[in-house]
Amino acid sequence: MTPANAVKLNALALYAIAAVLLAAFYYQFALSELPCPLCLLQRVAFTALAVGPVLTLRHGPRPGHYGLIILAGLLGAAIASRQVLLHIMPGDAGYGSALLGYHFYTWAFLCFVAAIAASAVMLLFPGQFAESAPLLGTFEVGAVWLMLAVTLANGASALLECGFAWCPDTPVHYQLLYRPG
Amino acid sequence: MDSSIAFFIFAATLWAAWRRGPRVAVSLFALGVLFTLAVYLHHATDALPLSF
Repeated sequence: MTPANAVKLNALALYAIAAVLLAAFYYQFALSELPCPLCLLQRVAFTALAVGPVLTLRHGPRPGHYGLIILAGLLGAAIASRQVLLHIMPGDAGYGSALLGYHFYTWAFLCFVAAIAASAVMLLFPGQFAESAPLLGTFEVGAVWLMLAVTLANGASALLECGFAWCPDTPVHYQLLYRPG
Repeated sequence: MDSSIAFFIFAATLWAAWRRGPRVAVSLFALGVLFTLAVYLHHATDALPLSF
């Protein structure tokens, strides 16, 4: 694999992560499904997944960048698996709506495992690890800015939902917008 | 608040990865992971309905 192809794949990964977070936003704002604290932490882990690809786009492919993806994937998988286990008992309706039969925390777990596996596969191609900085086009630069914008939007949304306190376990309204009575 | 801080730490990490050196980005990444783990442990207090 050439460095240019590895950079393209990392840019694609950034678009995929941004798409996951934007889909979560759709369910939150269009369908009024407020994310729980563990859901928010899974979104945080998705933003952590993006650090390795951004480093690859800026400084070129390095094994350590894939190591960061694996660490972020392990963090996300740990959080998602806890939420899966919380709702694993028969009869438990789960939290939030389901997509293709799986709740979003189950999809998140699968995504984190897929990210770990993809990083392991990428590490099998040493031809990508060249010393020169990659030449970037609009596709790659756009991926970085989109990811940064989605991360900041998530931070603002979480602040709106939780206010200036710990996020409630089962959120029912946006703390900063709520006016009792 | 807790999740917002985690998001903003990782936003800063992405910014550092893009504009600054890898060392700053990796340091912020470690900070973000540790903070997220701490928030996770704060929220992960319910007993799981499992028997091993």
